Amino acid sequence: MSDLAIDLSGVRKKYKFFALDNIDLKIPEGQIMGLIGPNGAGKSTTIRIILGLVHQDAGEVRVLGHRMPAEQVAAKWEIGFASEDMRLYESMTLGWHMGFIQRIYPNWDAAYAQLLLKRFGLRAEQKIKGLSHGQRVKATLLLVLARKPKLLVLDEPTTGLDPVARHEILRELTAVMAEEGRSILFSSHNTHDVEQISDQITFIDRGRIIDSMDKELYLDRWRRLRLEVPHGVELPALPGIVGVQQDGRLAIATANAYFPGLANAYETSGARVQRIESMTLEEIFVANVQYSREEVEA
Amino acid sequence: MRESVVGQLVWKDWRLQRPQIVIVLAWGAAALTIVRWGHQNTLVVGGVLFFIPLILLAHILPLAGVGNERKNQNLAFLMSLPISSIQYTSSKLISSLLIFLVPWLTLVSAAVVLVETRGVVPRGVIPSMLILAMMPVLGFCLILCAVLVGETEGWGIAANVFCSSTYGLAWFFMTQLPGLMGPAQGPVPVWNSTALTILGSEVSAAVLLLGLTYFLQSRKRDFV
Repeated sequence: MSDLAIDLSGVRKKYKFFALDNIDLKIPEGQIMGLIGPNGAGKSTTIRIILGLVHQDAGEVRVLGHRMPAEQVAAKWEIGFASEDMRLYESMTLGWHMGFIQRIYPNWDAAYAQLLLKRFGLRAEQKIKGLSHGQRVKATLLLVLARKPKLLVLDEPTTGLDPVARHEILRELTAVMAEEGRSILFSSHNTHDVEQISDQITFIDRGRIIDSMDKELYLDRWRRLRLEVPHGVELPALPGIVGVQQDGRLAIATANAYFPGLANAYETSGARVQRIESMTLEEIFVANVQYSREEVEA
Repeated sequence: MRESVVGQLVWKDWRLQRPQIVIVLAWGAAALTIVRWGHQNTLVVGGVLFFIPLILLAHILPLAGVGNERKNQNLAFLMSLPISSIQYTSSKLISSLLIFLVPWLTLVSAAVVLVETRGVVPRGVIPSMLILAMMPVLGFCLILCAVLVGETEGWGIAANVFCSSTYGLAWFFMTQLPGLMGPAQGPVPVWNSTALTILGSEVSAAVLLLGLTYFLQSRKRDFV
């Protein structure tokens, strides 16, 4: 029995103007993986392949031990999927949707559903067309969470939400993880949301995974070094430095594998290290994407 | 107890499209009431009014039941459920046929009973009437196929326009067939080879279209 909730190896999918190229993605059970990428990076295509809705041209996809897309029906009994572009039936009430899902899923937890109604400030008798965008997202998540899935796949669920609604949803997702063995794949271009709840982060750009590791490792490894470069001093090319921006006597070096020896190496070359700064996940994401694109174009 | 997901999807469609069924049945019943008066003018008006809801249902149901689900982004919600794309197709074919055929069979049966028992028109008209009533069924199957397989509103509209413009033409050609029009004024229905061939062709074409839909859907690699 595999202990990976999601296991993608060498997955390829080619469209006329876009291709997913050799995607390897592994999410251990009980982990929250944040999938971050700019618009059009391939997040939604990857997620649709994971759900068996899009067939890969090459590569292996296993979700909760099931081969996809062949065993998608068996897998989807244990997957809860919500996406930003998913809509419920406008003319029906939330209660009608709850009844519909309850009749399908034997694991439906009616008491938890009632609790979520309260926590999210929703009313079962309200028609979907009368709900705000935030309430619709919460309603969709309620329908997903109350069926108690082993794996949650969320494609940009917090897009367009106000900060309070985002906080409520992220808090609920964190609470879900209190139950052992549950896993979440959370895609977004909002790095702040992903940073709050994820254990692991994967960056995707232009159909390629450009980096994937533990969140704390990212925050630990990436640093920005502010340097003063005296006239006549040339900054050396150092391992672990992915970009240097220089403007006269001032330079900023970005490191993706920082270690104290880097600062010493700059000092030895004649530059003066003014400050070593931590980077936010958003800064790491942008730097990572830029570095990756430069690498590809070089 | 886990219930059949396809069964739940069919139930869901039935529940969503129930108002359409009620409207069509009420409209058809009103048309047959007008036909029952038995005057020349009310026969024509009632006859025309009788076919309008059947044609409307045939043309609107695939767009409302399948096309709108895609347009309104409900499809991602459905496909997140434990079903495959071919099970989704099965549920759509079953529910659409059920929702269309229940009012169609009810109204066509009522019309046949009316002709048989009330004698408002000669009984010989029954074969032509059934051939005419089968046209919306064919149109329904074609539009359903276009909407399911084509995946865009454009295909549904194109099939709609094609069917709308074909009904009149097909009826014109049928009125030129002596084997069909001759016995229509008679006191008993005549099931000659002309009537049976046309009716058989209509049924075969409908079955073929549904089979083709199923086949084309099963070959799709990307669904949402």
